[in-house]
Amino acid sequence: MDIVSLENVSYQYEGTKKPVLKGVNARFSCSRIYTIVGKSEAGKSTLLSLIAGLDVCTEGDVFYKGTSLKKIDRDDYRAKNIGVIFQGFNLLTNATGIENIVLSMWISGNREKNKKEYAYALLEKVGIDRETANRKVLKMSGGEQQRVCIARALSNNPGIMLADEPTANLDSDNETAVLNILASLARDEGKCVIIATHSQKVASIADEIWGINDGRLLFVKHS
Amino acid sequence: MYIFVNAIKNIGRNKGRNILMGVIILITITVSIISLCINNTTNSIIDDYKSRFGSEVTIAPDMTKVTRVMNINDVLSARKTTFKAITPQQYLDFARSEYLKEAVITASAGVAGDGIKAVDEDNNQGVIGRAIDSITGSLSGDDYAMPTMTLIGNQWDEFNKGYRKLAEGGKMPENDNECIISKELADLNNLKVGDKIKLKSSVIRISDNNEQEIKNNTVELTITGIFFDATEEYSTQVKISSLNRRNEILTTIDTMFNNFGSLIGVNAKYYLKNPSMLEDFEAELRAKGLDEYYLVSTDEAGYQKVVGPVEGLKKGSLTFMIVVLIFGSIILMVLSSIAVRERKYEIGVLRAMGMKKKKVALGLWLEMLIITALCLAIGFGIGSVVAQPVSDTLLAGQIENAKMAANQGILQGGPMVGSGVLLGRPIEKEPVPLEQVDVSVGMDTIIEMAVIALALASLASLTAITKITKYEPIKILMERN
Ligand SMILES: Nc1ncnc2c1ncn2[C@@H]1O[C@H](COP(=O)(O)OP(=O)(O)O)[C@@H](O)[C@H]1O
Ligand SMILES: [Mg+2]
Repeated sequence: MDIVSLENVSYQYEGTKKPVLKGVNARFSCSRIYTIVGKSEAGKSTLLSLIAGLDVCTEGDVFYKGTSLKKIDRDDYRAKNIGVIFQGFNLLTNATGIENIVLSMWISGNREKNKKEYAYALLEKVGIDRETANRKVLKMSGGEQQRVCIARALSNNPGIMLADEPTANLDSDNETAVLNILASLARDEGKCVIIATHSQKVASIADEIWGINDGRLLFVKHS
Repeated sequence: MYIFVNAIKNIGRNKGRNILMGVIILITITVSIISLCINNTTNSIIDDYKSRFGSEVTIAPDMTKVTRVMNINDVLSARKTTFKAITPQQYLDFARSEYLKEAVITASAGVAGDGIKAVDEDNNQGVIGRAIDSITGSLSGDDYAMPTMTLIGNQWDEFNKGYRKLAEGGKMPENDNECIISKELADLNNLKVGDKIKLKSSVIRISDNNEQEIKNNTVELTITGIFFDATEEYSTQVKISSLNRRNEILTTIDTMFNNFGSLIGVNAKYYLKNPSMLEDFEAELRAKGLDEYYLVSTDEAGYQKVVGPVEGLKKGSLTFMIVVLIFGSIILMVLSSIAVRERKYEIGVLRAMGMKKKKVALGLWLEMLIITALCLAIGFGIGSVVAQPVSDTLLAGQIENAKMAANQGILQGGPMVGSGVLLGRPIEKEPVPLEQVDVSVGMDTIIEMAVIALALASLASLTAITKITKYEPIKILMERN
């Protein structure tokens, strides 16, 4: 079943002359892994942002389970249905790792009784121990921040997981570890995983590969 | 709830910025607290004085008008009166007015004892006494009874204020021809309750054909009580017995009117229900026959002298508070708009996580509110310690100003006639300007300050809040990438 679909989506940043995306059509289903490839500046992050409901498209429509994002509360949608692993992590750098995750759980209205313990467990799963979890994000390495970001994306058990260049800053061991987590989300937990990347290794785990060229999204191949 | 917790955590996370904000808020709040304290305290003082000075009516000859038509010798010798003096009966008549909340009429007459001696009577033989003797003596013959004491009707103020107290076994005069006397006067003459005393009074009249005429009057009064007297014996340097307050014999107003008729000096105090009724009251007095040479006024000058400095203090502190509030808010708004640029990323992250604009705004507002509440607590601490010395210093400056203004006033104003001395009664003391205002942090100050602080905190976070609502998170986050 399609969980997200794009119909004739175009997007242009305010104050710019050229649209970044033009007439994009695509469908994404549960339990599958998608990768979106393209040169840098091609519009990969922009596409993920539109799927994440961080903004609405200039033309066309993005649908979540058949309903236009324009018609639903996109704050709620982001909080409950979407997990994003941002390229720049986008963590609260003055707060600790654990605080970042607990706050995200509060925002999404997570019913978990002991949010802190749940967050510690989640962090442990992505390889962050308690001591690191209580450090300010500012004082963490890039790899550690990446993991906190993944844990936060997972904390509300969203149906869609978006990852923007999730392995760009990682060595190959860590790259494999992160890819395994993402793969298992689709295989074992039935989530729809969409990864923007220009890495061949990442593209190799995908069920479908799409490419962006000159603002258009083109189907590249089935694995 | 988590928004509140997060707000508290955020304050700790950005110590530097929040301390800077806090210091500015603290300064603004502390200054406001001090100003409000002073303002509220002075307000109540001014209200009190307004009702006392603003409502007491003075009826006195208009000296500029009188001197224009009379030469000064006429006035001094009372040889000719071109204006009709108010009769004692008129004073009573004036008191019956719907504009008055209260009227206190006292009447007095200088009297000499027939068989009793006044306290300090021997002083009258002194230099000053002889001087007075020579004036009055030249006017009179042997018939003239030189006043050595004062008989006063209806003056009980000192008893209410606690300066005078009736000795045990006595009672206040109720019926005609009853009186009470001071312990000193009683001891001097071996008088006790139940004794009768004889008092004599003389008044010189100048008849139409310019002949002197002496009118004598004797009255016999029964002593119903003896009082202890703690008032100042003399209010002037002139120590003749008729000015000694131990020689005041107190009786009822009716005794005065019945026995002395038109020979008494009447002192009437009229208190208006409301200071604004002065004009109506004056019109009523004119209709009742008050001569145009009399001026009807409230004690504006006395009020100004006493309350002027306090009013200056109040105005000054209020102006200062407004200036500080305006500057404080401007600095806070600038600071918070700088801070929000710094915090744009943080806000973008919260929005990306799905936090609603309203909740982000609430969080920012709560942060500011918590900081402000802390400052408010510290401000009240500082304010309650500092308000008094600050008020004292400011008031001292105001009194200095008022004194300078008053000195100029004396040079411009004409000579004043001390009517009290002529009637054998001490002049009332000049009003003294308030040199000390007790400032305190009252409930009204606390409530007003809380409202001001709330407004300040809201204003400071308003800039931040309006900015965040303009952005979609994508713009904030993508800018950074
Ligand atoms: N906030 C923004 N305002 C204007 N233009 C932007 C903004 N963010 C990105 N762009 C532009 O949009 C295009 C696509 O960017 P992006 O989606 O980040 O590409 P990618 O992720 O594929 O590298 C780029 O040309 C970039 O300059
Ligand atoms: Mg990108």
